[in-house]
Amino acid sequence: MLKEQIESLLLKVKNPSRYIGGELNSVVKDKDKVDVRFAFCFPDSYDVGMSHLGMKILYSLKNKIDNFWCERVFAPWEDMEALMRENNIPLYALESLDPIREFDFIGFTIQYELCYTNILNMLDLAGLPVRSKDRTEDMPVIVAGGPCVCNPEPLADFIDIFILGEGEEVNIELMELYADMKKQHRSRSEFLSAAADIEGIYVPAFYDVLYNADGTIRSVTPNNVHAKPVIKKRIIKDLDKIYYPESFVVPYCEIVHDRAVVEVLRGCIRGCRFCQAGFIYRPFREKSSETICSQTRSLCESTGYEEVSLSSLSTSDLSSIDETLTQLSEYTDKEKINLSLPSMRIDRFSNELMERLKAIRKSGLTFAPEAGTQRLRDVINKNITEEEILRACKIAFKGGYTAVKLYFMLGLPTETDSDIIGIAELAEKIIDMYYQDPDRPKGRHVQISISCATFVPKPFTPFEFEPQASFEEITRRQKLLLDSIHSKKRVNVSWHNYKVSILEAILAKGDRRLGDVIYEAWRSGCKFDGWNEYYRYDLWVKAFEKTHTDMDFYAHRKAPYDEIMPWQHLDYYISKKFLIREHKKAMNGEVTLNCREKCSACGVSKEIGGACFGKN
Amino acid sequence: MEKTDVRAVFEKKGRAVFISHLDLFRTMQRALKRSKLPVWYSQGFNPHIYLNFPLALSLGVSSSTEFMDFSVTERIDPEKASADLNKVMPDGLRILRIAEPVFRNQDIGFAEYKMIFESSAAPEKMIAGIEKMLSMEAIEIDKRSKSKGTVRMDIRPYINILGYEASEGRSSVELRLPAGGTLNINSNVFADVLADISGIEFDHIYAERTKIMCKSGEMFM
Repeated sequence: MLKEQIESLLLKVKNPSRYIGGELNSVVKDKDKVDVRFAFCFPDSYDVGMSHLGMKILYSLKNKIDNFWCERVFAPWEDMEALMRENNIPLYALESLDPIREFDFIGFTIQYELCYTNILNMLDLAGLPVRSKDRTEDMPVIVAGGPCVCNPEPLADFIDIFILGEGEEVNIELMELYADMKKQHRSRSEFLSAAADIEGIYVPAFYDVLYNADGTIRSVTPNNVHAKPVIKKRIIKDLDKIYYPESFVVPYCEIVHDRAVVEVLRGCIRGCRFCQAGFIYRPFREKSSETICSQTRSLCESTGYEEVSLSSLSTSDLSSIDETLTQLSEYTDKEKINLSLPSMRIDRFSNELMERLKAIRKSGLTFAPEAGTQRLRDVINKNITEEEILRACKIAFKGGYTAVKLYFMLGLPTETDSDIIGIAELAEKIIDMYYQDPDRPKGRHVQISISCATFVPKPFTPFEFEPQASFEEITRRQKLLLDSIHSKKRVNVSWHNYKVSILEAILAKGDRRLGDVIYEAWRSGCKFDGWNEYYRYDLWVKAFEKTHTDMDFYAHRKAPYDEIMPWQHLDYYISKKFLIREHKKAMNGEVTLNCREKCSACGVSKEIGGACFGKN
Repeated sequence: MEKTDVRAVFEKKGRAVFISHLDLFRTMQRALKRSKLPVWYSQGFNPHIYLNFPLALSLGVSSSTEFMDFSVTERIDPEKASADLNKVMPDGLRILRIAEPVFRNQDIGFAEYKMIFESSAAPEKMIAGIEKMLSMEAIEIDKRSKSKGTVRMDIRPYINILGYEASEGRSSVELRLPAGGTLNINSNVFADVLADISGIEFDHIYAERTKIMCKSGEMFM
């Protein structure tokens, strides 16, 4: 038993309750009575991973099945990892405290590129070889899902099976297949072959990739009869009928999103051209207000949370939003539960909405215009106008807010200096409006925070062909922005670290050859790359050098429309023709209407056998 | 709104010993919410369940006698309320009884602990350590205080060993230490001192708080 060994270390680490399980609603089963054990790993800290909705859904879903046991695993923080390595404690699951290398499956959910080294580190902590080819028959099958899996090629060396798309059905099919084959004592390779027959299952080892002399991909060819030339993602048709957890595991320590979460819709109608989520999660599907209300009620009652959040890519696009909020607030007001609404669009921001937000004691409001001029907002298809931004700010000021945070991206395709200056001008206009507004909060000054990310081109977006701007260029534009701001006291500007964004771009669009780079970076000590205090860009650069891999090739090269992308054999229902069409429209500054107004023929309706909205 | 103060006695054992004092607040608030007891909320813009813990417990120490005060807006049946709460309590936390508070926080003066020390040292070495400690006139340690920073103090007068037993691999000590607002000495301070004096490196130390007492010597309740 590891329990005693673990307990003896816990008083030496920060937030020990993260490492010992036993939280309310965690599921403990008798391991002798289950057929399949699944270690669900989130490749980041407990505080981050426990906030993730997808893990909560799949955890509860798998555990609802008697002969499956799904347990949680997170990346231990540095202090705990050091003690674990020192005392030979392998990575264990929080429910049983058993080493995960004894499990049938180890599954990772991959939410962002900067957690790749953590995946390797967790496999290593588990006592397993990190590369698939070095693992043997008696070891767990390593699977991975989540948004990054839409281009999983950089991780192809390490993961046995990728699960494409929404996981509720396919995970269960995969585990049932495994349970059957385990009873028949079939081999690991037999299982992988059979798994490849399931829609949405991608076994990377079953494909050979050849490259051209210029480094681009020549072909991706199946080398196994079970491997399909193209693998389609999975989707759930009816959100009102699909399983949703009635309870969440309630952590003891504070986590990033410490509240009940009800998912209200999937997909997005907007089609912002930089946004990967807006495309890979299509089609748009909603829950009814009845489903949302009953799920809210059961989650709040089973957890005791004092806050519930309505979650989605764009909650204000829920067609029943007004009705849902009215129904919900009857319950939440009575129970003294705060209702929070992240992801609201500027153009849907209203007085009524602001009153609801105010009730949850937020110090400021955040809007995301993304670009400083209408021209560039049209290029990225953001579909909001300056009037709408100003109107939203005006409502906020009237409601007593004096701090507004605005998100922008630098380095967007076609961006010129006047677009950068436009960001500063927009901020100045908001300030002017504030001081001219007779309804403004009396005796207080306004504060505008401008937060700039660097544009990262992502697969399955119309900008997948685009290069990322260089470090020198972004630095110059940052300086230009700073110089363009006159009200320095009223406006503060911050940016994300470019050296993080470039790695994000490389890993997002990369191919299998990056496996060696990731391996080298991890060997040299990279982990928790998403955390500023741990990020070691210098070590990553060395890893690229050591493996003779050109960073510019991946980050700063424009791809022609006919180039074979590393993810071309994966079908996320979005056609390449559509992406090319959208890219051309972007270059001409033409907008595309949202899906509710007019179908843009992205390819999804063909896959789901009919229009997403009415008859379109 | 009319409210009545109640005091719950609970135990904190097993994995629950790793719940910090701050996290215990949230944990108990959520448990009270799940229980649907008529709990009183603080009034104002952002109402929340009012809770008070008369004496904090160090992280890693278990207890068979912790106290938690809250208020209710209707009369409750203490036995039923305990049972309702226990239905929704996480592993390791259990309500033993609910009653009206008798004493105030500032009445607390002492707490008693049962400590288990595991090591490969011979029992004689442990006994020698404890006897040496008892024979010492002063034991000076650096004690952190909120107002004065770190101060040097003699804790010998405050260590009251009620009994001890040493056997192969495992020894136990029962002791009483000052607790509460005036002077608080944690059981881990005693463990450090014992390790120092006996020269034994303990593999595991388990501490359980068994009693909380008033300055007057009465049991806190």
